[in-house]
Amino acid sequence: MLNLEYMWGLLPVLLSYLPLTLQMATIAMVFALILACLLAVVRVSRVPVLNGLSLLFISFFRGTPLLVQLFLFYYGLPQVISSLIAITGVTAAVLGLTLHFSAYMAESIRAAIVGIDRSQTEAALSIGMTQSQLMRRIILPQATRVATPTLMNYFIDMIKATSLAFTLGVTELMGATQKEAAGSFLYLEAFLLVALIYWVIVEMLSWGQRRLEIYLNKAYQR
Amino acid sequence: MRLTRKLNITLTALSLSIASGVFAATAHADTLRVGMSGGYFPFTFVEQDELKGFEIDVMNAVGEITGDDIEFVTASFSGLAGMLESGRIDTIANQITITPEREAKYAFTEPYVYDGAQVVVKAGNDTIEGVEDLSGKSVAVNLGSNYEQLLREQPNADEIDIRTYESNIEQDVALGRVEAFVMDRVSATQVIKEKGLPLELAGQPFSTIENALPFRDDEAGREQRDRVGAALAELRESGELREISEKWFDTDITQP
Repeated sequence: MLNLEYMWGLLPVLLSYLPLTLQMATIAMVFALILACLLAVVRVSRVPVLNGLSLLFISFFRGTPLLVQLFLFYYGLPQVISSLIAITGVTAAVLGLTLHFSAYMAESIRAAIVGIDRSQTEAALSIGMTQSQLMRRIILPQATRVATPTLMNYFIDMIKATSLAFTLGVTELMGATQKEAAGSFLYLEAFLLVALIYWVIVEMLSWGQRRLEIYLNKAYQR
Repeated sequence: MRLTRKLNITLTALSLSIASGVFAATAHADTLRVGMSGGYFPFTFVEQDELKGFEIDVMNAVGEITGDDIEFVTASFSGLAGMLESGRIDTIANQITITPEREAKYAFTEPYVYDGAQVVVKAGNDTIEGVEDLSGKSVAVNLGSNYEQLLREQPNADEIDIRTYESNIEQDVALGRVEAFVMDRVSATQVIKEKGLPLELAGQPFSTIENALPFRDDEAGREQRDRVGAALAELRESGELREISEKWFDTDITQP
């Protein structure tokens, strides 16, 4: 029933697009993490003006679909600001993923920070730590541990969201599969194979996540 | 420390990719960037990572005459118009049909493919024998294609349940999830013949379709249009256009 020979022949073709998918997700994740930390710290410490801007940023990027944002930045804005044409599909996709996911991640990092008992803040301030020392030495290391599982969730989601890059002309894993399926009409085989590839990648990440959680838990083990 | 170094590498990688992007966008005048979906058999499709089809052969033949480097860019069909308008590609070779709306916006070459809109149903479905039988039925069309427009112009348009799809309309009709799809007759015939899906044509085509290459309607775009248009005329004259058509369709779809 399944054309296994076709799937076997397609496997190396699809795998050759996997590095691009992972690169886009990884780079976007790194930048999204940095941006999300900044947004979360601004929100928690209620920095004037910046706090309002963070709220607006999070509201927009969480409140509109990623595909709309990608179309807006890649096709819409260059009609107004012509120099934006220089942005390639890959860069636009990474930028879109970064902005979109940082809005979600900022909220889960904020939750992790707020979740740390207030008595620790008071204790740190009482021994003369500055606000930034308090953040770097006391709050963020603990918040990291709490936020890790949800942040990994977002990373997994992000890997799959890279499939939208094909609408910007970037042939990544999913785009390659769609084109191959159009050539062979073996939809079940092609999409089953790509599903398995995504699944295996995510499973490998989950394994890494378990290792990371064990590492971050060291201080709490008796 | 190690983390910062890794981050540095990533930052460098990104700035490099941004930089290379800047260079990629400043395309040479003698490069013709041709957009297509890569998912439309047998006009443009991929087998084992190789882009093939009628449109690829035609554009390569055009490039041989004009001396342009032909660069194929594949993207989801719904993204192609945006790419053309934002100047990321120069034309679209994806069996683009000339419509009044598109003519107002783009500079078209003369038609190089003549075709008709065709209703296709699951094999054995004899309740539908043409567009007039579609009242009360669900009909799939591709998002961004002009078949939705053609259906809406039919007298029974209000009674047709039109569903727009991003892709895979043939598959959904074969599965019985929608009752019919509308596509051009030529590729529908080809899909049924080559791919063994349980589908059949329902009656005769209901509208004539002329396909051509759209360019941006500015000075540079019209100049490219004239150059490519002249090459197409030359290919028609020499019979090469007919040969390419017969290679993919067993028939000449380049004549009215």
